[in-house]
Amino acid sequence: MFRVVTDSTSDVPPEWCQQYGIEVVPLRVLFGEESFRDRVDLSTDEFFARLRQADRLPTTSAPSPGDFATVYERLSHECDGVVSIHISGELSGTVEAARVGASSVEGFPVHVIDSRCLTICVAYLCRAAAEAATLDEAVARVEARVPRQRILALLDTLKYLEMGGRIGRAQAMLGSMLDVKPILGVADGRVTPLDRVRTRAKAIPRMLERLRQDLPVERLAVMHAQAPADAERIRAQLAADLPDVEVEVGEIGAVLGTHVGPGAVGLTYITR
Amino acid sequence: MTASSRGAGAGRVDGQLLKQALLGSLAWLGAHQEEINRLNVFPVPDGDTGTNMLLTLQSAIEDIRESQAAEVSKIARIAAHGSLMGARGNSGVILSQIFRGFASAVQDKAELDPGQLATAFEEAANAAYRAVSKPTEGTILTVARQAGRSAAGAAQQPGATATSVMKAAAAGARSAVERTPTQLKILRDAGVVDAGGYGLQIMLEGMLRSVEEVEDELSPLMPGRPAAQVTLDLPEEGWGYCTEFLIHGDELDVEGIRDEIEALGNSVLVVGDPELVKVHVHTDDPSRVITLAARHGRLDRLSVGDMSSQHQRIRDQADEADGADEVVPVPAAPAPPAELRPNGIGLVAVVSGPGLVEIFRGLGVDEIVEGGQTMNPSTQDMLEAVERLPYGRVILLPNNKNVVLAASQVGGLTKKTVDVLETRTSPQGIAAMVAFHPERSADENVAAMTEAARHVQTIEVTHAVRDSRSNGLTVRKGDVIALINDRLEHAGKEYESVVQAALNGVGAGDYELVTIYRGQQATDSQAERLTASIRGDFPDLEVEVQSGGQEHYPFILSVE
Repeated sequence: MFRVVTDSTSDVPPEWCQQYGIEVVPLRVLFGEESFRDRVDLSTDEFFARLRQADRLPTTSAPSPGDFATVYERLSHECDGVVSIHISGELSGTVEAARVGASSVEGFPVHVIDSRCLTICVAYLCRAAAEAATLDEAVARVEARVPRQRILALLDTLKYLEMGGRIGRAQAMLGSMLDVKPILGVADGRVTPLDRVRTRAKAIPRMLERLRQDLPVERLAVMHAQAPADAERIRAQLAADLPDVEVEVGEIGAVLGTHVGPGAVGLTYITR
Repeated sequence: MTASSRGAGAGRVDGQLLKQALLGSLAWLGAHQEEINRLNVFPVPDGDTGTNMLLTLQSAIEDIRESQAAEVSKIARIAAHGSLMGARGNSGVILSQIFRGFASAVQDKAELDPGQLATAFEEAANAAYRAVSKPTEGTILTVARQAGRSAAGAAQQPGATATSVMKAAAAGARSAVERTPTQLKILRDAGVVDAGGYGLQIMLEGMLRSVEEVEDELSPLMPGRPAAQVTLDLPEEGWGYCTEFLIHGDELDVEGIRDEIEALGNSVLVVGDPELVKVHVHTDDPSRVITLAARHGRLDRLSVGDMSSQHQRIRDQADEADGADEVVPVPAAPAPPAELRPNGIGLVAVVSGPGLVEIFRGLGVDEIVEGGQTMNPSTQDMLEAVERLPYGRVILLPNNKNVVLAASQVGGLTKKTVDVLETRTSPQGIAAMVAFHPERSADENVAAMTEAARHVQTIEVTHAVRDSRSNGLTVRKGDVIALINDRLEHAGKEYESVVQAALNGVGAGDYELVTIYRGQQATDSQAERLTASIRGDFPDLEVEVQSGGQEHYPFILSVE
């Protein structure tokens, strides 16, 4: 039997961790001198409260190879192998740290997979892996789903992405004097611009249009950063338009929150 | 200027007589420029038909001033080229087609007898009709056609001369102009004749005056001085020397010449036909260009300008003025992007107002063509912007209903593929730019941008420059007026009530966002008052204020 490991940017619901025995290795958020483990030392609400008051933006850091080695080492006494699924290597050094950590645990198979994506899509990959019977099947199920992940994110502003250095190809959207709302996706593991609209109200129908083109889906969630009303509005719209699809609502964690900023809301799904 | 006796009152029109006649029409049109501008159907401050026609005509005549060509075909063709490149505004483009039709009818002739002259006038009118996708009667088209018919009638009379034919053309034009209000309600309500038609009448009268032996009372006019001269002469992009000339020859290979010149510089413009080619290029090595071109034919009107010194001169003037008057800084082009856009599409927009220019640049426009005060850019202005881009596929946004036609001419003058979006206002252009995606194909972008432009409502607010009646609305000079999507719909005494009526008119309650683009004339307190008033009347609408800096319209609003 095998176990699934991921990192805190996967936004995996705690119930799944319990049900499937998924291990989560936390990234860190740094406010000045203070360092917090994402979702362990700092809840999302606490994080955004601090963000509002901070005079300088917090930074984030990946777990160290040692953090991973410790977890793999422990698991090597509990099972026969690990599949370790992580946030895109283009966005974070996490997956690289996992690889290095894995190489230091001898004689224990650790299959590290770069999801090329982030947030709950990665949690979906974890669940798909956990539902497999063998390690090989788990890897196959994950790799089959990697290209089927989709994110449609509406940000309130690009400034967090820009300052955090993850803006990727959405760079082209900068420089506007007008308040233009970006709709972003992820392609080739990086942030990519999908669309631009003038108002949030226009963004939601635009995102739903794209979702409709991608149907049918295996899993679908509305994720948000301190925007529960928007998330609920989207969920209600989805319930009305696509009554056969189960929709979850979740909040992204502090690490992602640092990079997208409050007010972000998104559709995350895996196509069938 | 009295008519020279060469050919006057005589049978035939040769090149020099045509040239003289065109110079006469230029002078007379110059004299009536403002009068024609004021014939704008809406009492708005940027009436520009007179100016546009004058500038187009100037362009037509520029290259023939020095010409001694005896053949009418040569003069007509040079004039047609000039007007094509210099065409500004709808009226200018139609005028350029009139020249083209005329030149086509006389292309193999050295001289015209009265019958041939009349035929040429008729062919000119036909070409004008072909240029417009939805020809409307009561416009310059009707006037051109009547002029042609009257000319044809006069040519059949015994003892007909070139002068009698021209006289009939001018008289036919005049009576057609007088009839235009009976053909178009909008003219009738506004109490004006059609401006473009009247401009053509004036041109024909001017031609007649110069060939008749008649003293011209108003004649010492300033044929060369356009009103409101604000061509914001942006420093030419590029290095080296701006080199321009004409090549006269036989069987000139325009494409071949273009290929040769393209290898020697940038901002290349090569247009023409087997007998006359116009060349414009920015090059480090003008002598090489000239030597190469001279192999093809005889060079004419050669001009070579050192662009770096032109640029330096403009900067020196700006530096000098520091500490003196307020100098409007020449808007610097942004640093060229490190990478080209993934989809290989370039973006050109016609924009007026420094704030609006910044907004369009911020949304991704690569080249801005300044519309200028009452002047619309010429086809050549837009063509040059297109050629300056490092892209082979270009989307062009005219952002003004009076520029759309001139913009549509650009594609035919370049090897690049140009998609012209029919944006008729700045807000439409902005909405289109927001919808642009740097990784999607040109076709997908054109579709998305066109759709986005369709959904935004534009409200333009200004002051009436004269009394007027239109659309059942009575307007007094000085009233605040609002145009919704180019139609005059509301008038009143102050901004707040007129804008409120306009917003209600578009059903603003169904939209989310109003953006106010402040023009040069609007004061801070006027802008604040208007913003507060809109927020008060429409509490669910977001209201954003941006500095547009445009002239003539203190407020332009977009509703989306």
